[in-house]
Amino acid sequence: MPRTERDPLGPGFAGRLRSELDRVQPAWSSPRYLGPARRFGAWRVAPAALAIALTGLLGLTAFAATGSANPAVWTERVVTVIHPAAPTATPESTPSPTQPQAAPPVQPTEKPEPSDRPEQTSSPQPIESPEPGDDHSDSGSNLASPTPGDR
Amino acid sequence: MPGEYRPGSREDFDRLYRTAYPRVYRTLSAILSDPEAAEDCAQDAFVQAFQAWKRWRPDAPAEAWVHRIAVNRAISYRRSVKLRSVGQLLRRLGRPAPSVDPAEAATRPDLLTALRSLPPQLAAAIVLRHYHGYNNREIAAALGVSERTVGSRLQQAGERLRAALESPFSLEGPSAFHSEGREHYAED
Repeated sequence: MPRTERDPLGPGFAGRLRSELDRVQPAWSSPRYLGPARRFGAWRVAPAALAIALTGLLGLTAFAATGSANPAVWTERVVTVIHPAAPTATPESTPSPTQPQAAPPVQPTEKPEPSDRPEQTSSPQPIESPEPGDDHSDSGSNLASPTPGDR
Repeated sequence: MPGEYRPGSREDFDRLYRTAYPRVYRTLSAILSDPEAAEDCAQDAFVQAFQAWKRWRPDAPAEAWVHRIAVNRAISYRRSVKLRSVGQLLRRLGRPAPSVDPAEAATRPDLLTALRSLPPQLAAAIVLRHYHGYNNREIAAALGVSERTVGSRLQQAGERLRAALESPFSLEGPSAFHSEGREHYAED
């Protein structure tokens, strides 16, 4: 059943509102729904176009570097370029025998210094080397002997 | 048929734009005080409607459907403006408020100012009913609410609008809106 409600504005309100709003003239700019649709379409294609362009650029670079259009050759070329980097380090050590020759003279000059070490290391080592063995054996026997005895 | 639209038809959407754009713009100009913002929201609403045009179902009038999108855009816009104005108010604390141009105040339509002071849902309900002549069912479709809600919103909007127009700051007297006559909102 239709329900009626009281209008607090009165009957003249609609005419007044109409006259007020009719004075408002909309700005007839070009419809935006025509432009953004094309823009959205372009943005959808953009990632794919970018991927294709990058792939093509990579292929051209590889072709220019290897002179071959075969991707298998590109990978071989990459391996040969990367792999020799490790051997180049070893050949550098071979021409350096001049340096090892220079290095040994350094060692004799430093030998007097280790002379202090043998005093410290040699003196405890001959004395202490038999002792720890005995200590461990003794202590082990000392510790081991009471426990079984207690038990 | 001139009043019927086929979903997905480009020609029909162009026709809808030509017919409904001025009406939607005027609805938004009763909600938003900035004409450029009203135009932006109206244009954005048609962009959104165009993207969904294939999915539109003629359960409700196409113009009411566009109105729904546009009013939602205007609500979002007003919310963002309110947030921005809070920030500006905080920055302006202690400084004198900007003066209002007397010439602008004298020529400003008082009714539209009062309408814009209402919540956008209430202002939209008033305009859809009293300017566009929508019935409650069409207003419900345009605002995305039930017809019962439309009736209560119209009642609430009318009372608040009358109170705003009767305020001492109103440029015109309230006599134009005081009448013994009654207008009824039918919920059919």
